[in-house]
Amino acid sequence: MSTVDWIVLFATLTSIVAYGLYRSRGSNTVDRFLLAGKTMPWYAMALSIMATQASAVTFISTTGQSYVDGMRFVQFYFGLPIAMVILCATVVPAFHRAKVFTAYEYLEQRFDSKTRALASIIFLCQRGLSAGLTLYAPAIVLSAILGWPDRVTILLMGITVITYTSLGGVKAVTWSDVQQMCIIFFGLIAALVVVIRLLPHAVSFPDALFLAGAAGRLNAVTTHFDPNDRFTLWSGLIGGTFLFLSYFGCDQSQVQRYLTGSSIEQSRLSLLFNAVAKIPMQFFILFIGAMVFVFHLFVQPPILFEAAEAERIQASNAYRPMAEHYSQAFDRRRQAALDLIAAHHAHDTAGETERVEEYRAAQRDLDGARDQAARLVENTGGEHGYSDTNYIFLSFVTRYLPVGLVGLIIAVIFAATMSASAGEINSLATVTMVDLYRRYFRRGAADHHYLMASRWATVFWGAYAIASAGLGRKLGSLIVAVNVMGSLFYGSLLGVFVLAFFFRRVRGTAAFLGMLAGEAVVFAAFFYTGISFLWYNVIGCAVVIVTAVAITDWSTPASA
Amino acid sequence: MPDGPPPFLGTWRRVYIAVLVYLILIIGSCYWFTRVFA
Repeated sequence: MSTVDWIVLFATLTSIVAYGLYRSRGSNTVDRFLLAGKTMPWYAMALSIMATQASAVTFISTTGQSYVDGMRFVQFYFGLPIAMVILCATVVPAFHRAKVFTAYEYLEQRFDSKTRALASIIFLCQRGLSAGLTLYAPAIVLSAILGWPDRVTILLMGITVITYTSLGGVKAVTWSDVQQMCIIFFGLIAALVVVIRLLPHAVSFPDALFLAGAAGRLNAVTTHFDPNDRFTLWSGLIGGTFLFLSYFGCDQSQVQRYLTGSSIEQSRLSLLFNAVAKIPMQFFILFIGAMVFVFHLFVQPPILFEAAEAERIQASNAYRPMAEHYSQAFDRRRQAALDLIAAHHAHDTAGETERVEEYRAAQRDLDGARDQAARLVENTGGEHGYSDTNYIFLSFVTRYLPVGLVGLIIAVIFAATMSASAGEINSLATVTMVDLYRRYFRRGAADHHYLMASRWATVFWGAYAIASAGLGRKLGSLIVAVNVMGSLFYGSLLGVFVLAFFFRRVRGTAAFLGMLAGEAVVFAAFFYTGISFLWYNVIGCAVVIVTAVAITDWSTPASA
Repeated sequence: MPDGPPPFLGTWRRVYIAVLVYLILIIGSCYWFTRVFA
């Protein structure tokens, strides 16, 4: 990176942290530290919710996914508006009226203390696992760009997040998120404009759309039903609805954002903003990946986007013929793309059909060469199931974006990481303090004692996230890994909240046993079946409800 | 805890219906996008 990029990067990051801390002045009680004194406006909560969900993984991995597989991933978000409407009508008013700090506190009011404790522990397990992964994503960025060890980057990011989260609490987190989302929006728009401007003069924007579509990179909707296919219209609508109900209704990292609202109306508006804005935003990010694909139709991409692995396999005897084959395949595809555009411009339907086939065949040839390179990585001591998807966008950014914008995009990735990580650490600390420490270990202490406990819990979870960040290296596509981890636990949490809201006769013990049964079945599905992770939420939720209702029916005398 | 009406469309029920109609339009647009450029 140039000096200008470094200045842009550090100025952006410093201003985000400084602004968050400035806005968080006065967070000197537990209520202000954990819930911002319930003073946040809807737009701040809305952007904070969006920022907490949109981690660096969203930008690194999603763009890579559309480069190699098209835009099908957008279907994952089709369930989001449905989930938001359900939550606004049920959960939001219930949580506000119950005056709770955490979602799990509500479970004790409705069921009993053991159900609350189990739900809290499930949340701590799930969020604790993904907290490290959230920090790991930008470590890829700097290790790819600067050659820094992953651990240095993780430490730098983690300490920054711990500092402003432990000092300013949820208010610092929320106002930092607002600024981070503004920078993220600006950075993404700039990236798309630049990638389109980098296309050859002979290739117009409609031509770029045509070429991306012909290669299957604009396939946003697939309507076939296959439970083993991760991204279809049906898995998005049904599985996605359950996942987002769980995520926004039962995950404290999200619930805490909208509990800071000054009224039910403000909290509802923040969720509905996400319901409306999230799908276009994901579409936009995926579209950037598709346009990077079109750019590389005319500018040869490296055989592997991860520079270190690409360099390592060059020592192998198999590399040279493979690289020559790759160059030939690229030339063939570039020519096929140009021929296809020419036929398209000439309105030559027969010629267009013929050239589409040649273009797709050339693409398969190129994909085959890249697959060979990935297998060579495995065969020469690299990781099993190697994929360079997470490096595609970053490779493009560092090689082709202009000075200044590189620093800004890197800042976007950092900003996204810090916002997601801060939200996670803040919520983990809240649950630890409110649901476990204050409930079981130290009841009736002074407010200042709990404020300090919250700060120390923040430091603990930040340190834990730093320590467990190395796990990310073993998990392939990061965006999928994050969602798989979430889905292992969300179904049971959703199930117990569905029981709480809609099954009034179910009591604590039945709900508690239902959650245990739900977790057991989801883990069995994960280890012993090929069912897509989006369905785990449906399965887990259904098992919790069926088990709890069955136990309730069985234990209730017939005459009752 | 106050639960006021939404700032637009009069009732929350209408806002929810508007969001669901928006979802249908978004999915329809994505489907159209896929078909046009397939």
